[in-house]
Amino acid sequence: MEFSIENAPDYASLHIVLKEGEQVVTERGAMMGMSSDLKLETQLKGGIWGAAKRAMGGESLFLNTYSATADGQRLDLAPSAPGDMRHLRLDQRTVMVQSGSFCACTPEVTVDTKWGGAKTFFGGEGLFMLKCHGVGDLWISSYGAIHEVEVDGTYVVDTSHIVAFEDSLTFNVTSVGGVKSLFFSSEGLVCKFSGKGKLWFQTRSMPSLASFLHPFRRVQSNNN
Amino acid sequence: MKIEISHRPAYALAVVTLDADEVVVAEGGAMVSMDSHVSIETRAGKKDQGMLGGLLSGLKRVVAGESFFQNRFTANGEAGSVTFAPTHVGDVMATELDDSTVILQSSAFLFSGPDVTVSTKWGGAKTFFGGEGLIMLRASGTGPLAFNSFGGIKEIDVDGKFTVDTGHIVAFQDSLKFKVSRFGGGWKAFLFGGEGLVCSFTGTGKLWIQTRNPQEFGTTVGPLLPMRQS
Repeated sequence: MEFSIENAPDYASLHIVLKEGEQVVTERGAMMGMSSDLKLETQLKGGIWGAAKRAMGGESLFLNTYSATADGQRLDLAPSAPGDMRHLRLDQRTVMVQSGSFCACTPEVTVDTKWGGAKTFFGGEGLFMLKCHGVGDLWISSYGAIHEVEVDGTYVVDTSHIVAFEDSLTFNVTSVGGVKSLFFSSEGLVCKFSGKGKLWFQTRSMPSLASFLHPFRRVQSNNN
Repeated sequence: MKIEISHRPAYALAVVTLDADEVVVAEGGAMVSMDSHVSIETRAGKKDQGMLGGLLSGLKRVVAGESFFQNRFTANGEAGSVTFAPTHVGDVMATELDDSTVILQSSAFLFSGPDVTVSTKWGGAKTFFGGEGLIMLRASGTGPLAFNSFGGIKEIDVDGKFTVDTGHIVAFQDSLKFKVSRFGGGWKAFLFGGEGLVCSFTGTGKLWIQTRNPQEFGTTVGPLLPMRQS
């Protein structure tokens, strides 16, 4: 398998060339273009129970598996937001990925919803953390640029900016009043990390964009 | 205070490194990350304004399109860093005030040093009719001032006269005089030309404009979204 990240950082996309039998697992909406003979399966990773767990976690992301039926078949993947992408090689390390930032991985990587902390993490913003572990390749994406921080001690990040972090870091979600807009209280959450490990955050946030666009929506009249 | 702006120009992030006990004041909502020993104090106005004065200046900022609150970040006891990012895809630029004044479009303010006073300054009653909300903030004093744009920032050295679409204004030095008016070309151009209001600058000074107009973006996307309750 050969891959390259193209059009980075503004409009990053992932170009992969596969050998026969090789597979890539992607977020459902990520496929931009592919060799027509690639075989597609929508896999219920972890069986029906695993899929049900994902659905219960509010996950709209189902995973597609693409398999090459011959050498040299290609797959081009594009994330939904304008921004960057990054390749992470997992060698038994575990990385927590914000659901909206998961783009693709090789089949040796296990993608799991971390039960418990996952749901409460973003306080109802419809995002949750995926636990990715195993030995393989993982590709993540961002809205805006990806900024890497080597945490050694403690560090605070606004939850809507989190992309991914190594699970050697422990975390604790708290609210910091007034930091984010008062009128959209879900934005007031920050995540306090402690320990030693890498974390990646994105330099733009979707809730901020949504807050900006909200007043531009047409108003429904109530004269019925 | 050390300011480093990375990921320019599309996804700019300002990394501010504070000395021990140094303070930076930022727009509510701008903080992305920080060292955990940096404390946040949310304030509606300046300390010496008292409760009422503080609330009043806070309210003025809401009218101006800014958050009610500004946050003061302090690096307690030792040096520390805070990162700030704007809402939109675009750039961040920092300038140094030296007992001088810069006028900012209300949503362009990102952060400033503690000795820079940010207050509202009306663009004039006329500007209310434009619907583009050309409401300006006045930043004066001494210290760093950072502002952000939607799109890229273009710096223009005005010497004489220059005209800008109001939605594209980021900031300008107050040595420039400005006047908001209907775009020349008569009523037809105003109603159908799509150019609305323009700002005519005269004098000598720096002017910063943005290569995208947030109002135009909003009015393009807004009608595509589900309706909201009034």
